[in-house]
Amino acid sequence: MTEERTPDRREDQKEFAEEEASLLKITLGPLIWAAHFVVCYGLVAVTCAKGWDIGAVRIGLGGLSALALAGVLWVGWAAWRQWGVTTTGDRVNRLGSAEDRHHFLGHAAFLLSIISLIGVVFVSLPLVLIGGCQ
Amino acid sequence: MNVMMRDRNDIRRSCFSRVPALTLLSLLVLAGCGREQSALNVAGRDAAAISLLFWVMLVGAVLLWLMVNGAFLYVSRFAPGRFDERHGRRLLIGGGIVLPTVVLTALLVWGLSLLPDSRTPGDGLVVRVTGEQWWWRVEYWPEGATEPVVSANEIRLPVGERTEFRLLADKVIHSFWIPALGGKMDMFPGRETTFTLLPDKPGTYRGQCAEFCGASHAWMAFVAVAMEPEEFDAWLQAQAEDAAPPADDAARRGQAVFRDEGCGACHTVRGTDAVGQVGPDLTHIGSRLSLGAGRARVTLDDLATWVAHTDALKPEVRMPSYDLGEDELRDLAHYLKGLR
Repeated sequence: MTEERTPDRREDQKEFAEEEASLLKITLGPLIWAAHFVVCYGLVAVTCAKGWDIGAVRIGLGGLSALALAGVLWVGWAAWRQWGVTTTGDRVNRLGSAEDRHHFLGHAAFLLSIISLIGVVFVSLPLVLIGGCQ
Repeated sequence: MNVMMRDRNDIRRSCFSRVPALTLLSLLVLAGCGREQSALNVAGRDAAAISLLFWVMLVGAVLLWLMVNGAFLYVSRFAPGRFDERHGRRLLIGGGIVLPTVVLTALLVWGLSLLPDSRTPGDGLVVRVTGEQWWWRVEYWPEGATEPVVSANEIRLPVGERTEFRLLADKVIHSFWIPALGGKMDMFPGRETTFTLLPDKPGTYRGQCAEFCGASHAWMAFVAVAMEPEEFDAWLQAQAEDAAPPADDAARRGQAVFRDEGCGACHTVRGTDAVGQVGPDLTHIGSRLSLGAGRARVTLDDLATWVAHTDALKPEVRMPSYDLGEDELRDLAHYLKGLR
């Protein structure tokens, strides 16, 4: 037991390097949501201020929203597989082992991708329900 | 001991004396829910949509409150102890994630779908309103008009027609709001905002500036009248006329006071040499339903009080108070009252 707890720098670094993808996955969902939000609000604001063609911008942003949703769904799916709740049956991954941490990061990324999915849908709704700049 | 007793009695007495005060206060607050300026007293298509949204949200909020507190009561009183993990998780995911998402999505879709309605184009009449500190500059542009009918501090609209508002502000941000007829719209200096209102019940309502705009923000109100279209047309035609000439000697003396005190430097009375643009147009002030942007009534007494104590009635207003004799004030009020 005590041997396991002894901090080993090299092992930590190795694990961290391995989990780099997991950490990216955690931020990717909210990052897509944030980018989608900024592009939607910024572009519509500039379009309305400059009098550009809002119809075309709307279609373009509709396409961007579809891409963003696809991206978040992909992150969610990958995170779901990493969590592995259906294969391991372990939901909370209480143990401190490297494998447990790996599953846990998948769990967290999965939950964040759900929030991001809802966020992207909410941000997209005005594109559907409000036609123009009025 | 004695001191303590007295203190306690004092406290009790002061508590009791607060009861009528609180009752009075709540009555005053409730009086604010009267008919003139209430979003619950629906008199327009747009207000109806908002009112329905309000009631659905209120009932929904009460139901949610009952559910949350019911659940709390259940776990604390009726079923204390450990929850089965499966059961608890289902409750958390269902009540904590799925339910709020569904409710918020439904409300967002509904709310967003209401927004375009208040931006549907008008049926012809355009009313330009500029928010000033602290009054409303109003211009009516009927369809095809080349010049506006200018008025102030009163909005009249034909029932059953959608009127377009073009809103501006002079120095600070204001917000235009007639609760009985629809939602608010902000007024910005240098940037025009637009929305439309469709009143469907004739009546007299009250509008209020809904964005803090300075010392007399609370006194920046107006009377809004929804009229049958024929009545409205006749009224607008009368408003387009020049001012009525003074009808009697008192009014003529009043007009002389108006001229000598230089009122015309700030106020316009069409048909006279008073052409000032700083303050409200007074051409038909005598027929308006309020004075000083909803501050007082258009009676001889209120007119005289307004001219003599403007700053007391409307703190920091640009119009100075005039130190006039009683006779002069009475004549001036008489003249203004006659501008119908």
